[in-house]
Amino acid sequence: MPDSMPALPATPDEATRQTRIRLTINDTPHDLSIAPRRTLLEVLREDLSLTGAKPGCEMGNCGACTVLLDGEAVYSCLVLAIECPGHTITTIEGLTRDGQLHPIQDTFVQYDALQCGFCTPGQVLALKSLLDRNPHPTDDEIDRGMAGNICRCGAYPKIRAAARALARQQP
Amino acid sequence: MSTPKTHLIGASLPRPDALGKVTGAARYPADLIRPGMLHLQLVFAQRPHARIVALDTSAAEGAPGVAAVLTAKDVPYNAHGLIDADQPALCGDVVRFEGDKVALVVAESKEQAEAAAKLVAVTYEDLPAVTDARAALAAGAPLVHAELGTNLLLHIPIRKGDTARAFAEAAVVLEGAFSTSWQEHAFLQPEAGIAYVDEQERVVIETAGQWLHEDRRQIAAMLQLPEEQVIVRYAAIGGAFGGREDLSMQHLLALAAWKLRRPVAMQWKREESMIAHHKRHPFDIRCRWGATREGRITAVEAEVIADGGAYASTSVEVTKVATLFASGCYEIPNISVDGYAVYTNNVPCGAFRGFGAPQAQFAAEIMVTRLAHALGMDPVELRRRNIYREGSLEPTQQPLPEGVSALPVLERCVEEARARLRYGEPRESDVPSAPHLRRGIGIACGIKNVGYSFGYQEQSTAKVHLYGKAELERAVVLIGAADVGQGAHLILRQIAAETLGIALEQVSMVTDDSGEAPNAGSASASRMTLMGGRAVHDAALAARAKWSAAEEYEAEAEVQFHPPATTPLDPMSGAGRPNYCYGYAAQAVEVEVNTLTGQVRVLRVISVHDVGRAINMQQVEGQIEGCLAQAVGYALLEDFQVRDGHVLTPYFSTYLLPTALDMPPEIVPVVLELADPNGPYGARGVAEMPLVPFAPAVAAAIHDATGVWLSQQPMTPERVLAALSAMNGQSTAG
Repeated sequence: MPDSMPALPATPDEATRQTRIRLTINDTPHDLSIAPRRTLLEVLREDLSLTGAKPGCEMGNCGACTVLLDGEAVYSCLVLAIECPGHTITTIEGLTRDGQLHPIQDTFVQYDALQCGFCTPGQVLALKSLLDRNPHPTDDEIDRGMAGNICRCGAYPKIRAAARALARQQP
Repeated sequence: MSTPKTHLIGASLPRPDALGKVTGAARYPADLIRPGMLHLQLVFAQRPHARIVALDTSAAEGAPGVAAVLTAKDVPYNAHGLIDADQPALCGDVVRFEGDKVALVVAESKEQAEAAAKLVAVTYEDLPAVTDARAALAAGAPLVHAELGTNLLLHIPIRKGDTARAFAEAAVVLEGAFSTSWQEHAFLQPEAGIAYVDEQERVVIETAGQWLHEDRRQIAAMLQLPEEQVIVRYAAIGGAFGGREDLSMQHLLALAAWKLRRPVAMQWKREESMIAHHKRHPFDIRCRWGATREGRITAVEAEVIADGGAYASTSVEVTKVATLFASGCYEIPNISVDGYAVYTNNVPCGAFRGFGAPQAQFAAEIMVTRLAHALGMDPVELRRRNIYREGSLEPTQQPLPEGVSALPVLERCVEEARARLRYGEPRESDVPSAPHLRRGIGIACGIKNVGYSFGYQEQSTAKVHLYGKAELERAVVLIGAADVGQGAHLILRQIAAETLGIALEQVSMVTDDSGEAPNAGSASASRMTLMGGRAVHDAALAARAKWSAAEEYEAEAEVQFHPPATTPLDPMSGAGRPNYCYGYAAQAVEVEVNTLTGQVRVLRVISVHDVGRAINMQQVEGQIEGCLAQAVGYALLEDFQVRDGHVLTPYFSTYLLPTALDMPPEIVPVVLELADPNGPYGARGVAEMPLVPFAPAVAAAIHDATGVWLSQQPMTPERVLAALSAMNGQSTAG
């Protein structure tokens, strides 16, 4: 999460205990009325049917729920939705543009950097966050950058191979 | 089988389901939950052993949004299980482990279901719990299933030759005691699903699993419905590793949908999954090995005890596999092994990748290396002299199934280890700048059966429809085979396309509906490529022959493939033909031990496997690498702790899984293709084998680096440090 959060434009409604917020997700604004205690993961999945972010542990241990908040990979299970107005949220559904796979997605397919696929949206977004701030990571930087996303199928070597290939392609 | 020139066999084609997985479009069970569905919340026992004195659901029933609270009295036939039906869906009288279920709350929302579950009032009378497998066998131990009169679920002896005489004549006799712990599957997708009753009065369950038709069998039995009235469908499956072989919630979804006639949904939290589903068995193994001066291993005696937990699951089969492999992959003339599966009030144990083989061979492979050291012989040379060859007799006194590749696999491993790790060369100081970092190399072998064993009526069924005019235009393959991430659907499709001589795109697959696709058997025991693949292959050939012969534009054929029969083990001697196929593996591992912290880093792994024939080389490598990730966890990291029947590690914050940083920087998968006589294009299985030699290879490497032997899995820093300080204490004292 960024250090300086803007003042929340949230509007509490005492009668329903709901708060009205506007979230900008994948460049689209959504006006929502939600209970303040709900996580970004819950709101994405339950209110917006954006089910690409996965509930794997709901305690910030596994990374399956990773989304980008202002370009940084965050665990959406640890972020309250009411923290997010004013920020840019990107989910896996927002990575594909006009039916075209993002190069990271395409490379994951080519390199078979997945098995069951449950952690894959999180892996793809974690790698995007890494490559956006460090276009040419070393192997060690790749492993450290991806260490917050567990892959129980153990596709790690192929994820790393995909990351290396992407780093080579970057200018 | 003939292996003609092929265009698709071995090709590293990308998996078609990858597109949905990288875009987030793939729908896993929890993604199927829709507004308007009723939500289910279980009430767990949370105590290891107790009698239910009273169960009051009235407060929960009156809570906001609650549609029903189901208990044991609502279950038509309240017992299920893969082999023995000994586990209640909802407990009525006694709870036997903390993840036992006593009530199922059905409410309009998840929050309401959770709130109401807290209002279910259960009065328990705690009973003495038995939470140690050896203690459970003692006279007077508390009984987990009182009606059985014993906690012993299975005792299987294997007797071959005359061990007493062999030990008397052996030049070297060594004893060992080993223990292995539970392992949690930790598939990243926690159990979830939906169920409803359709317009044809069928109860439909959409979830994840490993075997559509077995789930259906158990659910139909519980609801006392004909199997055809139960439809099991699999969504995208978020990993399984054996952990979805037992029913977890599938039957409870069905029960609630059937009782309430409304769509229902359930999604377990991680801690519910950790506490409630079965685990890999902990084993306690005591053994004695004897060899001649010339390096012939002549005798093995072992006692192999598995803690099966509160319900039978597949403990009997896992224990038989461990008993069979207690002497590893070596032809030893005199064997006396006793395997025991025991009920306790711990979490039930069942299938997990390797299915008893990793535990047994942790002990066996360490003993072989220790024997070599005692004989002053290279550990590879001792293995070479004793390892299984074509025609070798198993401990069960029958020749091994044809296609024994243990020796070529070992030789290739040694060759690679010499070239890549400089195995066998004298080592200079390990890390000159850091004397507390010590490096070592270990080698171990492994064997694991492919497919079901011990007389099980093993089968796989596939149906192929063909359409075309002058040319074959397209094929539809129907086979109820679970793709748990291993890539089975692509493998089966490649086999079909190859066999029919058409492009992959001309073949479509129907795989995930028990009402449409025939029974492939489970996605387990490394069997789907061999069994499902062979059924698809044979059905494709049969359909093709009909299509060629007929004037019609359509043809179809269904084939049920049976591999060579196996037999049950003789209850007195263990004699019999246990398996129809084995996978052979050998690994060389280089580790770095930090002697100050006890931490072990795996630097390099060479993992050699005979896969018969790689259908998709990229996926074979993926299986080897992925299995090694779980092997790293099993050997070094994953410490599932249970005290007095309570799981102390129900979160990923306390049960640590390997991340990218725990992976060996260099993994070299080496694939040999020595055709299996029954597999399609010669293929056999590979999914479990890398887990078998890894932990003992790491133990040997730690010994090579430091001189200490670890005998408990996982080899955590605490245990490594304790072993080092014990050795140092001894050498100081001595």
